[in-house]
Amino acid sequence: MPRSPRTRPAALAAMFAATVLLAGCSSAAAAPPATSGSAAADKPVVIQNCDTTVTFPHAPHRVVSIKSTSTEILLALGLGDRIVGTAFQDGPVPDRWKPQAARLHSISDFMPSEEALLALEPDMVYSGWESAFSADQAGTRSELAGLGVGTYVQPAACRTTGAPAKLAFSDIFSELRQVGSIFRVEKAADALVAQQKAELATVKKSTKGLTALWYSSGTDTPYVGAGTGAAELVMETVGLKNVAGGVAQTWSSLGWESIVADDPDVIILIDATWNTAASKIASLESNPATANLTAVKDHRFITLPFPASEAGVRTVDAAVSVSKQLKALGLG
Amino acid sequence: MTTRARSWSWGAALAAALLLSIAVATTIGPAPLSVPDVVGSVLAHLGIGHNPLDALHDGIVWELRLPRVLTAAAVGAGLSLVGGVMQALTRNQLADPYLLGLSSGASLGAVSVLLLGVTLLLPIAAFGGAILALLATLGLASSLGRITPTRTVLAGVAVSSLAAAITSFVIFWAATGDSYRDVLNWLLGSLAGARWPQVAIAVGAMVVIGVPLSFSGRVLDAFAFGDTTAASLGFSVTRVRWGLLGASALLTGALVSVSGSIGFVGLVLPHAVRLVVGPSNRSLLPLSALVGGTFLIWADTLARTVFDPRELPVGIVTALIGAPVFALLLARRRSEA
Repeated sequence: MPRSPRTRPAALAAMFAATVLLAGCSSAAAAPPATSGSAAADKPVVIQNCDTTVTFPHAPHRVVSIKSTSTEILLALGLGDRIVGTAFQDGPVPDRWKPQAARLHSISDFMPSEEALLALEPDMVYSGWESAFSADQAGTRSELAGLGVGTYVQPAACRTTGAPAKLAFSDIFSELRQVGSIFRVEKAADALVAQQKAELATVKKSTKGLTALWYSSGTDTPYVGAGTGAAELVMETVGLKNVAGGVAQTWSSLGWESIVADDPDVIILIDATWNTAASKIASLESNPATANLTAVKDHRFITLPFPASEAGVRTVDAAVSVSKQLKALGLG
Repeated sequence: MTTRARSWSWGAALAAALLLSIAVATTIGPAPLSVPDVVGSVLAHLGIGHNPLDALHDGIVWELRLPRVLTAAAVGAGLSLVGGVMQALTRNQLADPYLLGLSSGASLGAVSVLLLGVTLLLPIAAFGGAILALLATLGLASSLGRITPTRTVLAGVAVSSLAAAITSFVIFWAATGDSYRDVLNWLLGSLAGARWPQVAIAVGAMVVIGVPLSFSGRVLDAFAFGDTTAASLGFSVTRVRWGLLGASALLTGALVSVSGSIGFVGLVLPHAVRLVVGPSNRSLLPLSALVGGTFLIWADTLARTVFDPRELPVGIVTALIGAPVFALLLARRRSEA
């Protein structure tokens, strides 16, 4: 079973913001960048990614994306036509990418085998999990490199080295730029980053000193956004204090007792098909220990779709969305 | 002191330790609640005095901590007891409560609910899975002829392997996103979900099945010398074996349905107790139950407090703490011998 370095909430927000920005700004950035004619196109791009040095001799044309965040970053850069297969998608893409996403071919809802992957003759695999690149999953990075397949792991999901100690928007932006340079679409990447920054600038920090729980999944032992990942980044951005902020992990299992003792003002619920926000609300309300939480009694719930809950191009969207929902609750 | 008297004094001391553990463990937890507040809250629910805590903090004591401690006590006692019974019944040192495929069957039931969306309450599905696995094991064993310990154990191995393989297949095939986390917690054994309904199941099963079972030591002592001896002492071997296996399985099924398959307790604690009080099942079974309850209370207290605010599945703690303690006991016994 693949572990899930969850890097998504940030991604969703960012993507959302990106879309809005893309729609609002010029359509040039959103247009699928044709084979770029820049001088850079001829030079190999060499990057350090997690613990691996990867060389992209030319811009990849046949990409397999594993996890929604990697797919969405490609879509946001207008590179949907380069994707020959997707795997492990966590949920539907936002409307703004629906036209591009409609033609995407899913190899597997889970991790594809190396052979199934190679059958698509990819020249790049872009993964939201470093663990995807192992012999018993989609193949090791060195083996894939030997077969002419470049590999790229979302830096926030690096397990070995290369992951930020604490995720910041600059990390997400530098991933967008790095992917831009791999595909030789630096201009589109710059435009996307500019849009994201502009969107981010519209978020007003709540100054009410509210605390929040980012509740992703689990009933007996809830799985929550902790102190170093996209969840923390979004919460800090909108001015919420994460009750699990002291845990130096991106995500963590937490005991109910400490959550009840902290009595968060707001609960951010991650909505996934396998664990809906509604099911979490129902269990919070029916469990006598959590029914008395302030956020539960006053119905102060904020929801985010799962793919937006991990670090990526929708992280800015997530911040914007949480901020709006806070306002709607009268807590902005 | 006679052996008998020594067993009684052990029993009294261990029973006191169990009750004290329940009381003390309830005052310990990640939330900073004072001991008088915790005591006051519990007493208020028992109709004595005024509750010093607001609804939220009272919930921590009455809805989270106390049910969890009580469930730990019942589950630990039951697993340890059944482990002792199974070891005697099958004359196999490696026997544990899960020997007949019970935990694998329960896991399959639980995974069906957690991943396949089977609409049953999880404890019911887990219990059903455990009982189906038991029936499959006993069916297979009896199809081979008269039910003997060896046949039962081997049939259990076959059923466990199959159920475990199907469980792995379901996880591999159907776990989306991070839903496998719930499954992992369950497979490792956890008391984090223990509330009053779980207390009712675990304590109820312990009172109805566990207490009578803990007095089956005399019968089991007769079994220790072989089926022929037992028969010559006037026991109907087949009927007793079926009866004890059935009772053990029902109890285990009920416990597993609330806690997942917590390892180590049922396998090792009876051995640890045997090292101290000797092999007679008559005192071994009740003493194992008392030790098991106390042990699991403290293992779970560690699981929920050491990494506060994070939490460990208690199945990890039982073995992590239990294995070295057991090794020490073994070593001490060797140096005494």
